[in-house]
Amino acid sequence: MPLTPEEYARVSAQAVAEYPAECCGVVLARGASPNERLFLPCRNVQDDLHRKDPERHPRDARTAYYIDPRDLLTIGRREAEGYRVATIYHSHIDTGAYFSETDKRNALVDGEPAYPDAVYVVISVMGGRANGANAFAWDAARRDFLPLEFTVPAAAQ
Amino acid sequence: MSVQVYIPTPFRRATSNKDRVSLDAADVKALLDGLEAQFAGLKGLVRNEQGEVHHHVNIYVNSEAIESLRGLQTALKDGDEVSIIPALAGGQAALAGGRASLAGGADTGALPR
Repeated sequence: MPLTPEEYARVSAQAVAEYPAECCGVVLARGASPNERLFLPCRNVQDDLHRKDPERHPRDARTAYYIDPRDLLTIGRREAEGYRVATIYHSHIDTGAYFSETDKRNALVDGEPAYPDAVYVVISVMGGRANGANAFAWDAARRDFLPLEFTVPAAAQ
Repeated sequence: MSVQVYIPTPFRRATSNKDRVSLDAADVKALLDGLEAQFAGLKGLVRNEQGEVHHHVNIYVNSEAIESLRGLQTALKDGDEVSIIPALAGGQAALAGGRASLAGGADTGALPR
């Protein structure tokens, strides 16, 4: 379960609120209990990076996300408490909920998945309205991120 | 002096799955030297061949990014906590003429190294 219905509703609301910028965040989990899940919406600092150094960061937040390093520090601290990164989500603006080559490349560290057990959820926002989502996970045998069966949770549709 | 280093998930395969390492180091550069000496797999993951920290890697001393301190020369003291955290980023397919292309051609959104 990459996202509970409540979590999906929060992702969808965040994606719409931050349109036309891509939104991003993670869900952290500890054990299998639903009570041990932490929903952590993150700040997308891509616009700041683009403004400061457009050569190094040619994209703005409309087409890319870069989680605020301060949020990464928070994630790291939670990991140190036993939580793991279960789901990493972001939105795509006025295009489909696919896992792009950029998404794939940036999900790897030195050719290996940064978070091999995490599910990546991409939500499409078209014209300011949520327009479906898909989930992707690392397939060790095929060494690629492949789509998972993912149905938008009923309560969030 | 002993400094605690937090190793995040993406780098743990280079540290025999250790999430915390204790090291003696006077500054951040010495700490990275020590880490790379202890875990050869970290070489190239955190710094480039010139010894500079990759742009997609963030290093914190306690809660302060080293860019806002003294960079690699940031002094460390007993009990400090250092976190080495790679960026988490992505985005849609390549831009073509100002519009996103669904064709999946050359992307320009890769994390700069």
